[in-house]
Amino acid sequence: MSRFSNLSESSVSSPFVEATGLVWTAGQKRIIDSVDLSVEPGELVGVIGPNGAGKTTLLRLISGGLNPTLGEVRLRGHRIGDMSARERARQVAYMSQDSSQALPFTVMDVLLMGRYPHLNRFEHETAVDRGRAREALAAVGMQGLENRIMNQLSGGERQLVLFAKALVQDTDVLVLDEPSSSLDIGHQDRIFSMAQDIARFGRTVIVSVHNLSVAAEYCTRLVLLENGTVAASGLPEAVIRSDLLDRVYAVRTLVSPNLATGSPTVTVVPGRARSRTARVHLIGGAGSAVNLTRELYRMGYQLSGGIAHEYDSDEKLWRSLALPVESVGAFSRVSDEDVARASHLVEEADVTILCSFPVGTGNLGNLRLAGNARRLFIVNPGPDEVQRDFFSGEAGEAFEHLCSRATMLGYKDIVSMLAAEAAAGAGQF
Amino acid sequence: MKAQPALVFVALSVLVLIAVVLGVCVGAVPIRLVSVLAAAAHGLGLQLFPAPDPTTAIIIGQLRLPRVVAALLVGCALAVCGVIMQGLFRNPMASPEILGVSAGGSLGAVIAITAGLAGASQLLLPLFTMAGALVSTTLIYLLSSSRGTTSLFFIIIAGMAISALCGGVTSGLLLFARQYEVSQYVFWTMGGLDGRTWQHVLFSAPVLVPGVLALSLFSRELNLFSLGEEGAHSLGVSVEAVKRLLLALSAIVTGVAISVSGPVGFIGLLVPHLLRMLIGPDHRRLIPASALGGGLFLVVCDLIGRSIAPPFEIRVGIITAVIGSPYLLSLVLRTQRRAASAR
Repeated sequence: MSRFSNLSESSVSSPFVEATGLVWTAGQKRIIDSVDLSVEPGELVGVIGPNGAGKTTLLRLISGGLNPTLGEVRLRGHRIGDMSARERARQVAYMSQDSSQALPFTVMDVLLMGRYPHLNRFEHETAVDRGRAREALAAVGMQGLENRIMNQLSGGERQLVLFAKALVQDTDVLVLDEPSSSLDIGHQDRIFSMAQDIARFGRTVIVSVHNLSVAAEYCTRLVLLENGTVAASGLPEAVIRSDLLDRVYAVRTLVSPNLATGSPTVTVVPGRARSRTARVHLIGGAGSAVNLTRELYRMGYQLSGGIAHEYDSDEKLWRSLALPVESVGAFSRVSDEDVARASHLVEEADVTILCSFPVGTGNLGNLRLAGNARRLFIVNPGPDEVQRDFFSGEAGEAFEHLCSRATMLGYKDIVSMLAAEAAAGAGQF
Repeated sequence: MKAQPALVFVALSVLVLIAVVLGVCVGAVPIRLVSVLAAAAHGLGLQLFPAPDPTTAIIIGQLRLPRVVAALLVGCALAVCGVIMQGLFRNPMASPEILGVSAGGSLGAVIAITAGLAGASQLLLPLFTMAGALVSTTLIYLLSSSRGTTSLFFIIIAGMAISALCGGVTSGLLLFARQYEVSQYVFWTMGGLDGRTWQHVLFSAPVLVPGVLALSLFSRELNLFSLGEEGAHSLGVSVEAVKRLLLALSAIVTGVAISVSGPVGFIGLLVPHLLRMLIGPDHRRLIPASALGGGLFLVVCDLIGRSIAPPFEIRVGIITAVIGSPYLLSLVLRTQRRAASAR
């Protein structure tokens, strides 16, 4: 990884990239409007935002591809506008979004183009330059392909070569515009992991990303652009928030931590059906209500949930959808007071659904809560679902009691029955 | 179709040498190879052979050699300018004609002819041609530059407009011209190398040789232009400066070249394209190869024109057009077929 560590001449005091008061106008419209951005060595900054928010324009301003209408960009304290083109290209490499242009050159020719700012007019590329090029090609997993013609590569391979070319350019600042737009997830991971390594070795990477989960996963900091201004900037957890994203992207998003990495992942909640006035309360536990919650939410019902145990997956889903929820601490017992506190949710609901979950002393209260329902459905678990189980005789009795006044239905039947009632206009459904 | 570049360069150099010798030998009065060698040795001050007789010496030294050298220079310049324009516009169909050089040059020529200046001195027609070419190019350049950037797209539009304007004025002038002047102009537009003297060479070489050398210094930048202007810029090319310099140099070189030969078509299109298929797109090889290839092509075309029906000469512009047009057609057809199969 020696190629990622030429920090010898870095001046400690000034940040690698410092943009102040950046404005860029096209005609009368301000595409970028008063953007300040300071990026330190070691940062991997993700620029996110909807189409037309100004991501590409911002990146081109930072890399010197555009001159700001107002404001300035400094690289290590030097104004980018005062640098010669070569000087600038030794400091910052830019990879454009467009990798589709016809290039009749071989992969090696293209990689060596990255050495241009380091060579003077009468200098030829040396074995060292070729070595670097080969190293970069191997780093993107394309070793041995240096004699292939660019035009004959797939879109993804071309994108990888252009990324390798940016590495060969050997700059402290790497600006990447949508580097993985035509890559499969494996290559996407490769590019972003390499970007992470580059940042860890004391360089700076600024990258625009459409996929918010990817941005949150790899970047050390995110900048959310909205109509050319910075709507939010900070740690991924601070920027990837449903309230912010919903406003900026004008969709409903669901932010939940990735189970494997813990970084926020973003899902768009598919267009909700016309919202219904009917209210449904879900009693779950151990994740038994997750599927039904999603389905009914999509169908547009007003939902509530509980009593849940904190950190249970049902509870996390309900919280992320901002539903009315009653909950108790993880593994604690649902007391009579808790039941009393939650019973208004059940009493106000047109239908209460008791999902299938194991009942022990801790959540026995939930069966009691179900007893208050105006209309009660009990989910009959399918073979792949959480099975109902009773760890005490008391629980079994309570359930028997409920069964006498409830409708027992499978998961699918509940959904189709609610849908059918809604279509028939029966009651409020 | 790819060949070893070294092999191509050796082959081209040998062919150029052969073409030059043939160019001196072949003509209305055939000259034996021995006489050419003798004259060459004599010229170098070596007394290996008996000196050629004075008539032969004059034919070689004053008629044939300047003509061949002029053909070499012009062919080389036109081919290299073709490469430059194609690299700059990232389009294999680009040529200096986009810059209005031919139309402007023709206008200059028709002014010189109708004003009766062409007969006054051998050099006045070339001078007017060059002036016309440069004026129209400057106009096109100014029209397509604004706020410090030159748009290649606007160059094409402005080039078409200015070329049409020059064409109109040219026709207008011809309308009022005398019959022999019209003939003289038509003759000029065919492009030709007959009667080219050392004067023509001495007047054009000081521009063409350094011009072509200067253009070849930008081969690496032209390679980077294939990444697009943005890509070249991000790698540290001063895109605007390079673009302007190359446009201006190409216009000057082409202007001077066609002032010597008249508008000789297709060299700038045909030669680079052929060589690109042989040695690839790298301008560091393509430019010198095109220089050799262009020179070779024009010398050979001139040779063909002289030897088809001696003692009459078929003008070299006609030969290049007759060879070039079918090739251009096949190029277009092939591009179309490729586009169709890609769809």
